[in-house]
Amino acid sequence: MYEINICHLYPDLMNLCGDRGSIIALTRRCEWRGIQVRVKSVSLNDPLSNEDYDILFIGGQNLDQSIIHDDLKKGKGKVIREAVEANKVILAVCGGLQLLGRYCRTQDGRDLECIGALDLWTHEGDNRLMGNLIFECDFLKNEHFDGLIAGFENHSGKTWLGSGVKPMGRVVTGFGLNGEDGYEGAIYKNTYCTYAQGSLLPKNPALTDHLITLALKNRYSDFESLEQLDDGFERAARDSIIKSLMGKKNF
Amino acid sequence: MKQGFSNLRFLAAILAAKLSIVILRLLRSGGTSLPGKLALKLHPKILDRLSGLFRVTMITGTNGKTTTSRIVANMMEQNRMRVVTNKSGANLSSGITTTLISALTLGGKPRVTHALLETDEAAFRTLAPRLKPETVIVTNFFHDQLDRFGDLQTTVDKVREGISKIPDAVLILNADDSLCASLGRNVSNRIIYFGMGEGVYPETGANINNDAAFCMQCNSRYEYSSVTFGHLGHFSCPSCGFGRPHTHVECSGILSYDNLGSNIEISGPDMRITVKLALPGLYNIYNALAGASFGIAAGLDEKEIATALSGFESGFGRMETIHANDRELKMILVKNPTGFNQVLRFLLTQERPCVIALAINDKLADGTDVSWLWDVDFEVLTLMNDRIRAFYVSGTRAEDMAVRLKYAGISPDMIMMEKEYSQLISKALQKAEARESCYILPTYTAMMDIRKILKRRFGLKEFWK
Ligand SMILES: [Zn+2]
Repeated sequence: MYEINICHLYPDLMNLCGDRGSIIALTRRCEWRGIQVRVKSVSLNDPLSNEDYDILFIGGQNLDQSIIHDDLKKGKGKVIREAVEANKVILAVCGGLQLLGRYCRTQDGRDLECIGALDLWTHEGDNRLMGNLIFECDFLKNEHFDGLIAGFENHSGKTWLGSGVKPMGRVVTGFGLNGEDGYEGAIYKNTYCTYAQGSLLPKNPALTDHLITLALKNRYSDFESLEQLDDGFERAARDSIIKSLMGKKNF
Repeated sequence: MKQGFSNLRFLAAILAAKLSIVILRLLRSGGTSLPGKLALKLHPKILDRLSGLFRVTMITGTNGKTTTSRIVANMMEQNRMRVVTNKSGANLSSGITTTLISALTLGGKPRVTHALLETDEAAFRTLAPRLKPETVIVTNFFHDQLDRFGDLQTTVDKVREGISKIPDAVLILNADDSLCASLGRNVSNRIIYFGMGEGVYPETGANINNDAAFCMQCNSRYEYSSVTFGHLGHFSCPSCGFGRPHTHVECSGILSYDNLGSNIEISGPDMRITVKLALPGLYNIYNALAGASFGIAAGLDEKEIATALSGFESGFGRMETIHANDRELKMILVKNPTGFNQVLRFLLTQERPCVIALAINDKLADGTDVSWLWDVDFEVLTLMNDRIRAFYVSGTRAEDMAVRLKYAGISPDMIMMEKEYSQLISKALQKAEARESCYILPTYTAMMDIRKILKRRFGLKEFWK
């Protein structure tokens, strides 16, 4: 029997907008396939050890949280940098995305140092980039799936990627990373970052299964692929939002 | 002469607004903000002027505004205070202007002595100095429709700023809510704190959605000696000493508690009363405590307070019951995780089988991001699986609701989609058997649309009357 351990970082501080949904989705989709799951929360002053988990989830929250920055500087930042380089599976959403980057420049021009695990950076803008977000991911495309991911974004930071980091996809509707270059999300090794928050994984089972597959491959050398599930409900939820938005472009 | 002109303009604005109220009624439209907008256009300072004509109480906070407002209005009316209240979400300046104008004669004289006004937390800052309230009730702060207001701290600070401009108002604050209680720090106002007594409510275990885990003053994690729900409880900060203030009005005992209401004991200065509260759910005990605190502020005695609270029956949007032959349709508004969790906890107390219909919209008044559904503990519904005949999902985001139920552990073949409300009501009623209930849980705009159909089919009275 396969096992997966999920680490939810700062669930009490970075849990805006139903991020818990992504933990629930990972858990259920493992359970439905007989994979044993354990979810562990790690918060302020708790130790973080890369041996303890297979998937690390960092949720969304505004970056201006000095307590989180202090806690990361005390050691977790370094542990996360090592995890990223060691091909651990990581999903970071919204504030989590910004936190993994190099720095975040506030509106009054201060640079808040971030953990620098990924070569990306964020500048606070004047407007909130908010609304439903649809983007197209080539790495998820296959004969059964069109690669479209649907989510909700709500951020004022505009993020830019360095040369080593690839975007997750192209924006179809919404703003994405910065509302300017038409890209959304960031991928580096097995770390995935996106501004699509909340019910991201529940509504996008292809992405959820992609992350579970990567984690199982990391842990079990003989693992090949996941058994297919009936995703009728999930597909309907995604399709209905795509249908209601088609033709609306923001960037 | 100048005075005369300004008075003329005031009367003209009132006349215009009153005329538009009449026209809107004739058109059978429930529009509540348009007349106020018109009056504000003709006389931009009309609100400051209007508020001087009434003794104003303001109610703000995330949950319980409407119910608390109804409890207080009922208490006022029973005790010879004639009052006008704003209804059905008309809680911005234009809606409040409409409300106050509707309580004036054509000659601009007030027909009632008191005004009881619900206001949006974000609008409180600008409205408080204009309305100059004698009393302010703040119910609580929870995450709600974040895409409109930004983070919770900002919301609390907006209310704090409003309070700083009304040093003479009596503040009625929820002591169990650290965010709300913090409003009473460093102000010169008279304050009445209300809350749940220590150990009165049985412990409910871990609270997952903690909106305020960390001290506002020093960022340390609060310690709790007891929790009622969400972040409400007996909190204290181990570092700086900020903690739950001493309460003046406290629920000192819950004698019974079921799906129809509760029997509670309320204690305060010169007060020890038993109240039979015909409102289900723990959150309504807090609303009753806020009401009792108002009674103290208004100088009522314990008998008057007890009578008013015991005689209160639930009203608009909170829990409406409609008899459809031998079945009951019950509609309860859902709008944020904390409120929704309370509704689910109430459903768990149901002994008979029932049908549950969830209508989730994502319009501006509902919150355009439906991710909040993932912060609601739908998982508890699996505890009453054997008593649920079917789930129906409806509204613009019915599909998202279906996914949420599936991931909560509800079997997909129990979940039916019906986007047409008339069909939804018919099907839900058919699924239920004699003497059973169908619960309809809609978000705000879905509720408005469903009410129209209920009105047509069952003669429900119009909400703005
Ligand atoms: Zn403190």
